[in-house]
Amino acid sequence: MARPHIEPFVDRDVPFKKMTLPGFPKGMQYKMLSLDTDNGASSMTVLFEPGYKQPPGMSYTEYELFIMSGSVTIGEKVWGPGSYIFVPAGVALEPLSSPRGATGLIFYNYGEPSFVESDSDHPQAERDRFAAVNAYDNLHWTSTNFFPATAPGCMVKILRFDPRTHGFTFMYCMTPNFWQDNISYHDCCEEAYHIWGTSWMMQFGDLPTGGYFWRPPYINHGAFASKLGILAIGRTDTQLYNHFHFNPWTNIEENQERAASRMLHRNPEMYKWVNTHGHNHPIDFEFDHGHSHGDRPHHHGDGMVEHKHKKKRRRR
Amino acid sequence: MKFIENKRSREAEAWLKKEIAEQKRRYRKIVDEQEALSPKRDKWIADFLQRIQTRGVHTHYDQMRKVRPEEIPVKPKRKFKVVF
Repeated sequence: MARPHIEPFVDRDVPFKKMTLPGFPKGMQYKMLSLDTDNGASSMTVLFEPGYKQPPGMSYTEYELFIMSGSVTIGEKVWGPGSYIFVPAGVALEPLSSPRGATGLIFYNYGEPSFVESDSDHPQAERDRFAAVNAYDNLHWTSTNFFPATAPGCMVKILRFDPRTHGFTFMYCMTPNFWQDNISYHDCCEEAYHIWGTSWMMQFGDLPTGGYFWRPPYINHGAFASKLGILAIGRTDTQLYNHFHFNPWTNIEENQERAASRMLHRNPEMYKWVNTHGHNHPIDFEFDHGHSHGDRPHHHGDGMVEHKHKKKRRRR
Repeated sequence: MKFIENKRSREAEAWLKKEIAEQKRRYRKIVDEQEALSPKRDKWIADFLQRIQTRGVHTHYDQMRKVRPEEIPVKPKRKFKVVF
């Protein structure tokens, strides 16, 4: 995790900047919401100027685009407010244009924003993961399905769910006069942007329209309230579990300790296995083992999860 | 495939450097603003600790329980912060 705790930040307080990175056509502007200082992954508010035209092309990182106002045309199809488009790394998007302009949110998940003009996919692209939906028109609000659950009046539309990490992207709303009297923290990073409306949190005060946060794991937030309701978009990097409590003064270490203790009681066999299994490199038969790439977190009995393997020299 | 390995251009390096510096400034501003909010926050916390004894604390969805006075946490002496 290499993004600092950005909370709260209101993008209405800062001007748009021109996108100057190589490859991007003229007419795209952005406001940086948060940025991973290691890999350049970025969350941004984006403005496509009227007349914006982007040729077919791909990004080296997967990205997510959500349209808040105006519309963009991708290929032949027009995507208006509420449209959500998930583009895996290397997938060539059809030409994108915005004759009358549009604003949205764009999340480059694993690297800095990149655009390479191309009318065909990169050989490593996984086109089957591409997804696009208009969340305003074609998805229903449902109760949250995280347990323990948020109070009645907070509802979600799931835009994308990662079956491996359980990280997800979702719209959420709070009804007028929503209130939830507890304090929460999660094991995951959490990020959100207010498309409309103001909500209040006991730690940070009011978060208005254009309000944003990137919150690393185990940070207290809540109690919660919203007088007139809100419409927002949220994201997590792994499973969102609500660790509720009512102590306003706990810190990250105490919250982590408590989360581990709760895991011991909730999943005792798993807890025991993780703590005693020598190599500690759990293998998911459904997915790539990861050892060959060194890209799956594990340790060798020393607890050092964040390490890299030296590349072995191949004998000729 | 979430990311395809590639060589970062010099322009991208410069862009990142600039954005990281701006983010540092943004973070410091947030910390200062949140520090200034402390008196209000103390009042909000006092109100919250009162409400959970009378109306209750949410435990799951619409389930709530009233917190007993002896369960109310005491503010530790260490410096209290909300931005980490």
